[in-house]
Amino acid sequence: MNRMNPLHIIILLFALVVFFMFKLNSVKGELKSEGLSYKETLSLASDLTGLRDVYGDKNSVKQSLERVLSQSSLKQAEMKKKITSSGIILSSESMDKVELNSFMSKIFNGSYNITALKIKRLSDKTASFQMEIKW
Amino acid sequence: MFSKFSKQTSTIFLDKESGVFDIDGRVDIILSPSLYWVKKVSLPVKYVREAKSLLPSLFEEILPEGIYSYSAYKSEEEFYIFAYEDKLILDTLASKGVTSSQIRNVYFAQSELFSQESGLKIDESRSLYTKDEVLILMPSVWLKENVDLDLSAIVFSKNSVTLKQFSHLVNDRSLYTFIGILTVLLVLIAIEYFITLHKIDAISQARSEVFSKNGLKSTMLQNRSLLKEYKNQHMTQTRVREYTSELLKLSLKDNVKLSLMEIKNKTYKVEFMGTKNGSESEIIKELKSKHIRFKSTIKDESTRLEIEL
Repeated sequence: MNRMNPLHIIILLFALVVFFMFKLNSVKGELKSEGLSYKETLSLASDLTGLRDVYGDKNSVKQSLERVLSQSSLKQAEMKKKITSSGIILSSESMDKVELNSFMSKIFNGSYNITALKIKRLSDKTASFQMEIKW
Repeated sequence: MFSKFSKQTSTIFLDKESGVFDIDGRVDIILSPSLYWVKKVSLPVKYVREAKSLLPSLFEEILPEGIYSYSAYKSEEEFYIFAYEDKLILDTLASKGVTSSQIRNVYFAQSELFSQESGLKIDESRSLYTKDEVLILMPSVWLKENVDLDLSAIVFSKNSVTLKQFSHLVNDRSLYTFIGILTVLLVLIAIEYFITLHKIDAISQARSEVFSKNGLKSTMLQNRSLLKEYKNQHMTQTRVREYTSELLKLSLKDNVKLSLMEIKNKTYKVEFMGTKNGSESEIIKELKSKHIRFKSTIKDESTRLEIEL
């Protein structure tokens, strides 16, 4: 019985086939999981990048707000600005309703994170105004 | 007679009528002529491997029905060719107490014993005898000279054969075809395995690139938490704008004025002045029709609403 028995070869090959099938099945599962993880990362990255660009970019928010505040229609409102590390506080003791309407339209149409707001009617034409925007 | 060869020996002479062997370890087996068919022939080929393909046809007419294996070796210019039944030999061995795992080498008596000049007694009545250069079994009484078979003095040739345990079930061709199929299958599975590993690596690398390209935090947990925070913020800001729009769209009576709009601690407070004679209920009704949830407080001529953001 010096020659290797073909049946022994078959058993060996069969064992190897079963072993690699098992390993293949395992890595296929890993591939599926990795694929799902990749898709989740892509989706999360897309959502996160979009929202971060809108709300988390301090410089962009600042520049945009500066452009709104520099408009001539707001010059008479004597808007006060107080900049902190986390945001900006804007206030005016008395503001014309047309100016206020124009200003609020621009703020609401922009992507600012308004955390506090107080508009109090003073008369038919004026109101006091205070707003905190965070970045 | 057989008891002579059967005790703790490393070589046995196997005949259909042998007694049970007491084997310890592996043994060499010499097959009796009763367990094979033999011919001495001249063939138009030079090598044994060329002769092997001709063997089935050379025995075709003389073999009884059965599943045979064939073997051959060359002696000078002629060939000794053999036909034997693996199952018959293995069954005989098993019936004599020898398992297949105890078999070391299997030889034909023809190749190991035929050069004896006198008869070789294998039991009380039969002897091995060489006639026309072919070893045969014959009654001992027919021979003038007989000597006892001594297995201990044998120097084995290289003409051993391998017994196939399942040759009666499947032939060699089927086995090798099956081996081929399994090998191909194994190679395909292995290739698929390595391709899959490569794909996993590629996806993992692409994922890392998404992280670095988008400046994500190092763990998904941190990123999910950050995204949740941004989403909440976005929802709140959307509601601020939506509620403000709905509040400014309210159709107020002439004497009713919106006197205060205040956002603080995620609560939107709104105050209307001059609400009387049921005008506050119209405001509340209109806001409810827009599915805005709020709490209302009515005091004198003012109505205060609180909306959770």
